[in-house]
Formats: sequence, structure tokens, C-alpha cells
Amino acid sequence: MIRFLSSLILLLTLAVSGHAQGGADPRPLIDALGKANFKQAEELLGQIAATGDARVAPALEAFAAGDLYARKSDGAVFIAKPAGKNFKLIDPLSGEEVEEAGKGAVAKIKINNNLRRVIRSTLGGLTLLSPDRATRLRAAEAVMRSPSAENLELIEAALEKESDGAVKARMEQARAVSLLASDRGVEEKRAAIDTIRSLGGRPAIAILMTAAPAVDPALKEDLNHAIRQLESNLAAWDVAQNVWYGLSLGSVLLLAAIGLAITFGVMGIINMAHGEMVMIGAYSTFVVQQLIRTNAPQLFDWSLLIAVPVAFLVTGIVGLVIERGVIRFLYGRPLETLLATWGISLILQQSVRSIFGPTNQEVGNPSWMSGSFPLGGMTVTWNRMWIILFSISIFLALLALMKKSSFGLQMRAVTQNRRMASSMGIRTPWVDALTFALGSGIAGIAGVALSQIDNVSPNLGQAYIIDSFMVVVFGGVGNLWGTLVGALSLGVLNKFLEPSVGAVLGKILVLVLIILFIQKRPRGLFALKGRAVEA
Amino acid sequence: MITSFVLRALNGRITITIAILLAVAALVPALNILVPPGNPFHIPTYAVSLMGKYLCYALLALALDLVWGYCGILSLGHGAFFALGGYAMGMYLMRQIGPRGVYGDPILPDFMVFLNWKELPWFWYGFDMFPFAMLMVLLVPGLLAFVFGWFAFRSRVNGVYLSIITQAMTYALMLAFFRNDMGFGGNNGLTDYKEILGFSVQAQGTRAVLFAASAVMLALCLLLASAIVNSKFGKVLVGVRDAESRVRFLGFRVENIKLFTFVVSAMMAGVAGALFVPQVGIINPGEFAPANSIEVVVWTAVGGRGTLMGPIIGAVLVNAGKSFFTGAFPEFWLFALGGLFIAVTLFLPKGIVGTVEKYWQARKATRKASETSRGGDVLTAQPQAAE
Amino acid sequence: MTEETNAPRSLLYLDGVSVSFDGFKALNSLSLVIEPGELRAIIGPNGAGKTTMMDVITGKTRPDTGTVLFEDTIDLTKRDEADIAQLGIGRKFQKPTVFESHTVWDNLELALNRPRGVYSTLFYRLSGEDKDRIEEILATIRLSHRKDELAANLSHGQKQWLEIGMLLAQEPKLLLVDEPVAGMTDAETAETAVLLREIARTRSVVVVEHDMGFIRDLGVKVTCLAEGSVLAEGSIDFVSSDPKVIENYLGR
Repeated sequence: MIRFLSSLILLLTLAVSGHAQGGADPRPLIDALGKANFKQAEELLGQIAATGDARVAPALEAFAAGDLYARKSDGAVFIAKPAGKNFKLIDPLSGEEVEEAGKGAVAKIKINNNLRRVIRSTLGGLTLLSPDRATRLRAAEAVMRSPSAENLELIEAALEKESDGAVKARMEQARAVSLLASDRGVEEKRAAIDTIRSLGGRPAIAILMTAAPAVDPALKEDLNHAIRQLESNLAAWDVAQNVWYGLSLGSVLLLAAIGLAITFGVMGIINMAHGEMVMIGAYSTFVVQQLIRTNAPQLFDWSLLIAVPVAFLVTGIVGLVIERGVIRFLYGRPLETLLATWGISLILQQSVRSIFGPTNQEVGNPSWMSGSFPLGGMTVTWNRMWIILFSISIFLALLALMKKSSFGLQMRAVTQNRRMASSMGIRTPWVDALTFALGSGIAGIAGVALSQIDNVSPNLGQAYIIDSFMVVVFGGVGNLWGTLVGALSLGVLNKFLEPSVGAVLGKILVLVLIILFIQKRPRGLFALKGRAVEA
Repeated sequence: MITSFVLRALNGRITITIAILLAVAALVPALNILVPPGNPFHIPTYAVSLMGKYLCYALLALALDLVWGYCGILSLGHGAFFALGGYAMGMYLMRQIGPRGVYGDPILPDFMVFLNWKELPWFWYGFDMFPFAMLMVLLVPGLLAFVFGWFAFRSRVNGVYLSIITQAMTYALMLAFFRNDMGFGGNNGLTDYKEILGFSVQAQGTRAVLFAASAVMLALCLLLASAIVNSKFGKVLVGVRDAESRVRFLGFRVENIKLFTFVVSAMMAGVAGALFVPQVGIINPGEFAPANSIEVVVWTAVGGRGTLMGPIIGAVLVNAGKSFFTGAFPEFWLFALGGLFIAVTLFLPKGIVGTVEKYWQARKATRKASETSRGGDVLTAQPQAAE
Repeated sequence: MTEETNAPRSLLYLDGVSVSFDGFKALNSLSLVIEPGELRAIIGPNGAGKTTMMDVITGKTRPDTGTVLFEDTIDLTKRDEADIAQLGIGRKFQKPTVFESHTVWDNLELALNRPRGVYSTLFYRLSGEDKDRIEEILATIRLSHRKDELAANLSHGQKQWLEIGMLLAQEPKLLLVDEPVAGMTDAETAETAVLLREIARTRSVVVVEHDMGFIRDLGVKVTCLAEGSVLAEGSIDFVSSDPKVIENYLGR
């Protein structure tokens, strides 16, 4: 009865709380709690709620948790946090620390379960009707986490006033959760189960599981059915999530390998310094960010977009220098090229180490790269999302360049028949140099993206070099589409092996599978067949 | 038959080198043990072990040269065979620790006790016996090379593709050996050895003997390599390197030729690893790192691939350089090594020994040519790829 | 069964052999019979399938369909290169392919028809008989005076001869020779024709060549290929007067 009354008072006061905001000062009411018995405390809680002042929430939470103390000297009430032997006294409204007091100087304000329930409703009510949308949403979620029949009326009242769609949906779910715990009719409960099921995922299963023991026998079947459905949904989403992780890893592999698909796949150069191009791209990003931080911090969100052309130019030029300085003397001697470029990679690594130091460099995420959003039953982080889109768009751009531009045409001409191309007036050495620079530049762009998900250190490149070669060889040398399919399928395969055998063993298995695959199809997935390739 | 096989190996230079190696095997331990410290001829024990390490590297380089220099298979995974031989030896040494480990378990090595294992995994059985361990030093790398090569050579994976998958092989092994549940000590590898054949591994005498063993083993392997290279088989091998399809169309089974050489080479690398481990006192998964295998390639390239002396000279020179650089200017070692890779491929493709040989041949030829009529241009003599 | 006894004994028998690469038909139902002891010349425009035909015979390429028989019974499509070489089919490449870092002598020693296993080559010792055989071949290919020189130092024509010498050392029953006189001087060309006729006395030889003068010198049966199948077959005069051959190959 009392509970009902209090709820009624609460509702009444809450109904006007929107207007009462900033009305009566709740501090004397809180201080009064120090001397009140349980019954008086309950009344006081009602009055506190009536102030409609959201600042009281921490004090009420502390009260429920038994952390509310009264100072013996003047009866003032504080939230107390233990600090060593003493208590740290915190102002209940402002949240500021006031002083430290000995344990003897304060007295705990007593609390019982009845009061706790009242507090919870009060809190829920305060926040469910808060003018702030985010607060209402949080409140609805809080109700969902601790379902009880008492909240039902509160929620229903709040629902009536709610106009925001998303909040309303969440409140509907909160209502359904509370309804299951109440003594309402079977039909209403059945509808509630449906609502909870629409919530989806593990939380819904958990809610239904907790409700299961107490539920009507008539509803048992509905409940189990809903749980089964949720579980199979969940399994499907798990697969989807795995595919997503796999695609995400695959896009990273694609990024790392796509430059190599040009230098190795198209030109046949074994560039062991490819990983270092990626590393230099990542360091370019770092430098760009440093410059922006010191000179124009407002541009920070644009830093990655600025870094892309910078990294492309820097690594492209490094690539150009390498091709003109070393590789052009080694055409037709692939094993020597391999050794020389490995030497180059050592020099590049040590140079970066000497300039920037051996430790990891901090590369920041712009705001649009951080955070995540839910997609059905899975969580999608923005950085992975952007990296997938980024790698696909680089792939498409490269494909267009190869197929549509005159440079691409010259490039293909030179790789297919150098002598013929040269006699048709194509400057083959120039095309070689630019192609290599292009491959290196793309590796640099990849470095920009990888700086967002990996440690930027001088060893960054080494982590990718073997994987990149595996992707290109697996996909089929000289075939860009092969690289795409190779990268994505290896990524997905890796992520599907991981849950059962672990990350390291999964990676080993993938390597072994690729080694076996190359024995079977030495020219990769999408091999060109014919005499010309075998020569 | 065997005698003619061996005798053919002993051409002038090889005989001299083997004699030098045997002399070193006797002399260095003598200077270490018999000459008192303080005497300018005394060689300190740490230097003996350091030189022993170089000799193991030289043997590894010789093994690589057999497949790369003579057969044209650039293996970027020879470090794996070296490490496997080393692990086999390391397992023997671990079993010799017995109850002297930190946890005092008479059977289980410390790391297994630490991981709470109750009994020895099956693949550790037998490693308490020296002969068995030595057999494994040969068999494990040999078997891996056999299985790998059987698949790869039969499906005609060659050139850079083979290089890349050998690199993937050693990379995969490295990842595997880093795992604790593989049973090889994970990250830390195998270390804290106490005794080998009952002698303390730390003792001066043991170290001197290990050095001598490395030198003698290098001499023996040099003899074997020379015998192989100078036989008709060796000529076929060079034929495979220069014109594989010609060899095939002459009716040779190229895959068997490659497989035999690859396995012999892997076993040599395993022996090198086994001699290496007691001298440095540790074996860990880092030995499988792809970078290590590539470094072996540069030793061989510097000394001169396709010659027997080249890899030995290259390994000793580069490693002595490495010891010096990492001591004096640690920052510059990678610059020096990287520069070496580039310089050798661009300016010294035949390596030190090959270049010297070419110079002598050219002089001989011009002398001969000036005596008779004009001969062909010797300087342009270069192996060429088939077709 | 009667058919088999009546059929002429052939050394090499190709019937309905087709090979395609990515849709391009390199050989299109090619049929060809070489008799024991025959010297045959094969001509045809570029892309007619001459090299692919040799690839099929020597086991480098597997035909999609068709029969390839050696000595009437041995199915060559089931064998690999080494097997086929050991059966007695030798092949000379278009570009001279010899072991450049070996001496002329070693080149021939490697080619000698002796056991080729790992064990037998490791413990091989040069016997007096083998020595004589090599000397004999050196004389045939006119390289006796350069036997100790590296093959790399030979002239282009001499390399061609060395390769032919290696094939002789192999003691094949059938020799496939791809453009043996490409890049040779006229004198060398004439001498090569003599050499090939000499060789053909003891075995079958198939020569692929563009040089019509050279083929006239050989004076043997000619097969003209075009677009992967046989266009005409007969004496050089018969073939070169065939209108289809003129249009496809000789004309223009």
C-alpha cells in the first residue's frame, strides 16, 4: 500500500517535473535523510523526487548502495568513499570532494530493501521523464537491466509522453521486460515475449532465461520458441560477424598486397622492400599528423586525407630512386633482385629507426575513424569499415588505371612484349620506373590505412611482407582480380580457423595450406595458361 | 668405387683447405689450453667459442651453396633446417640436465614443470641418448626437406616461387615453435645446459673440443660436397642450374636430383645447428626467423656461390664483420649488411672467390690466346637461363 | 587385329591430337606418321603449332585429345620428359641450349646414354668405351679441337652443333630438331645439312625449319602445318606448288 502510494506521489510529482526543473532546493531534504527513520525517509524520497532535480541521482544511488553518511558535527549528509582508514566526503549534489573525515566523525544512514526499491523507482522516474533524450535512453536501459514489476507503471506513464522513436522503442522493450516480471495477463505477456525477441541477441536470451522459471506454464512454449529462434539468429549473426572480421583482415591483406601485385605480379620484380614502403607510408602519416597537431589542430580530422597523397608521393619517389638506382640493373635476374631489395629493406628499416627511434609512434584516429555501430546482431567498428571501403576503392582505382588509361596500356604492353613495345615508341625504361613507383606509392597509401590499426614501428613492414607475397602468389601472379579474391578468401579462412584452433595455429595452417596449394597450382588461383607463361 | 668418389674430391685447393681446417682444429684448442693467459699467443675461451660459431655458420653456408650455387634452388628456409638440428641437440642437452634444473624434476625439463605438465611428450623420448639425438639431428631436417622437396620439385615449383614458399615454411615453423604447447620451450627455447656426454658445457676443455669438432665436421662436409660436385652428378647439378629443361630432355629426373641435393644440404645444415647450440648455450624460435635464412644467402653470395670455398670465406668474413660492427657501431650494422646485399648483387655477382677465379682464368686464357691465335671472349662467359 | 599386322610399322604415330591454350587451338586434330629411319622436314607459318607439336611428343605439354604412340605401342601422353628421353626421343631447341658453364667434353659426357639415377651418376667413372664414343661424336660435330673449352665460348653455330652432338650421345631413335640453321652462315647451313643427313642414316629425324633452301638441300619428304593441322605432305616440289601452301605460307 505504502509502495503504491509512494509510486503515486512519485508519478504525480514526476508529471510536473518537466516544469519543476530548478524549483525547490533538494539539499535540505537530503540533509533531513540523516535523521529520518525508514518511514520518514520514504516520504522524504518522495519530496526529493518532487524537486525534479536530476542532480540528486548520485546521492540516491549512493543511498541505495549504503554510501550515504551524515556528519555527526552538523548533520550534513555526504556521499562517502573509503580512503584508507578515513572516508572521503563528497558533496551529494555537486560531486565535489569536501574533506576527509575519520570513521568516527560520520554515521551511516540506514537503508532497507523497501527503501532501495523506492529509490530505484524514483531514479527511474526522474530520468525516464528527463527532458534530456540521452538520459531517458539510459534510464530505459537501466530498467531493462533490472526488471521488476514496480517499474511497469512508471514506464507506461513515461511511454505515453514519449515522442522520440528510438527512445520509445527502447522503452517498449523495457516495458516488456518489466511486464514479464509482473502479474499481468497471459496475452499481454505473450506480446511482451515478442517484443523482447525483437530486441535480439544475447541480452534478449538472458532476459527470457531469467523470466523462464517463474513464467506461466501456458507461456512456456512461447518462451522456449523465442529463445530457440534467438539462438539460431545469434549463430547466423556469429557467422556474419566472422565473415566481417575475415573481410576486414582480408582488406588489410589486400591493402598490403595490392602494391606488390603491381611490382611482383605485373613486373615480376621480387621486391622484398615492399613492406618497408608500407612502413614509410605509415610514418608519413605520423609526420603529417605531427605537423597538423603543432600548426593547425583544427585540421586533425582531415589528417588522413592529407596523408594519402603525401604518403603516395614519398613512397613513390623512394620507389623511383630504388628502381633507377638498383633494380634496373637486375632485370631478368629475379633471385638477385630479391637479395638486393632485401638489402634495401634493411637500410630503410635502420634509417627510420635512426630518425624516429625504435619505439612505436603514436598515430591518432580522427573522430570519424573511432567508435562503432551495431548492424543487426554484430558490431561494426568504423575504422574497419573505412579500411574495407578504402582498400576496395584503391583496388578499383588501380583497375581503372590499368585498363582505361594510356599509361596502363603502355604498362601492359611493356610487360607483354618489351621489344615490340619499345619499337612502337614506348619508352620502356620510363614505364618500368613509373610502374615500380606506382606499386611503391600504393604500398605507401596502404601504410596510411594500416597506421590506424597497427603499431607504427620500424618493423611494421616485416609483419606484412610474407603475407603479401602469399596473397599475390595464391591469387595468381599478374592478375589483379586474383589478388582481390586471394586476399579476401585468405582473410575469411583465417578468421574461421581462429575460433577452433587459435590465432597462431590458424595462421600456421593457412601458410601450410598455401604451400600445399602452390604445389598443386604453381601459378595460383587465376593462372594464365599457355606457352607464353611457361617460357 | 667409394675411394674414387672421395679421391676425385681431393683436388689441390680442397686438400689444402681441409689440411688447414684440421690444423686449425688442433692449433686453436692448443693455443687456448696449453698457452697460459697473458702470453700473446693465448686465445681466450670466449674467442674459441666465437670462432666455433663462425665455423658452424660456414657449414650452414656451404649447405646452402650446394643447393643454391650448384643447383640454382634459392632456399630462403635453410635457417629452419639449422634450427631443427639445433633443437635436436638442445633436447639432448635438456635431458642431460636431469635433476639439476631449478625445479629438480629428474625427467621433465624446467619449462614443462613450469607449464604443469605431468609427463614427457612422446617426441622427447630417446633424446636422453646421444646417438639417438645425433640421428635426429640428421633425420629431422632431412625428413622435412624430403617431404617439402618431394612436393615442391615434383610439381615443378621453382625460381622465386620456391624461394617464397621456403620462406613461408620457416616462418610457419617460427610461429609454431613460439607456441608453448608445442613442447619446445616456447619463447625462451631450450637453455641452461649443464653437460654434454658427461662434460660440463661451460668448461674450457669442452669448448675447445666443440671447436675442434666444428672444424673437423666442416672439413668432412667440405670433402663430401667436393666429392658430390666433382662427380658426374655434380655436373648434372650445374646443368640443372643453367638449363633445367635441357637436363630433363636428356632423360634425367630433375626432381630426384634436386630432392637428393636438398636433403643432403638440409642434413648438413642440421649438423651445423647441432654444433652451434652447445657453443652458444641456447636455441630459441628466433633462429627460424626468415631474416636469418636470408642472411645466410648473403654470406654465400659474398664469398662466391657455386664455389666450395666461397661460402666458408663469406660466412667467416661477414660474421667477423658483424661482431666488429655490432660492438663498435651497433647503429650501422644493418646499413652495412644492407649495403653488402646491394653491392654484392650489383658489382660482385660471383662473390670474392668467383671473381678471383675468373681473373685467374682470364689471365690464363689471354696468355694461351696470345701464344696461339685469338680465342673467344672469356670475360663474357656467364651462365644463362634455359630457353 | 588384322589391321594391326597390316599397318606399316611406325616409329612415331600422332592421330587427332588437339591442344588448346585458353581457347586458342594450338593443335587442331593433327595427324602425322614418322617411319623408322625417315628424315622429315616440317614447315609452316608462325603459330602453325610446330613447337607445340614437339612439346606434345616430348611430354612437355599434355594433349587435350588424341593419340601419340612411339614404336606403335608406347603411349607418350602418359610419360614425362625424362621418361620419353630415355625411351629414345631427343630434342633440339630453337635457341641453342647447352650447358654454358661446362666444357664441350662435359656437355657430351652428361648427354651419354648411361644410367641417369642419382646413385649411378654420383659414382660414375669415365670408361675407355665412353671416352672413345665422345671422341667420335666430337669428330662428327667438328669440335675436337675445342673439347676443353667452356661451351659459353663457342660461336652460335658451334653451339647448335654441340647440341646436336649431345643428342647423338643420347643415342635416340628419333631426333626432333627445331630450326637448326637459324642464325647460321651459309657455309654452316650447308654443313649442317650434311650433318643431319649423316645422322639420319642411323635414326629418324624430324626437322622444323623456315629456310626453304636448307630444306631443298635436305631433299626429303616435307609436311606443311597451318593452324594446328597438316595442310600438305609430299616432296618439296609437290608441297611448294600446292595452292593452299602458297596462300598460307609461301605466298606473300
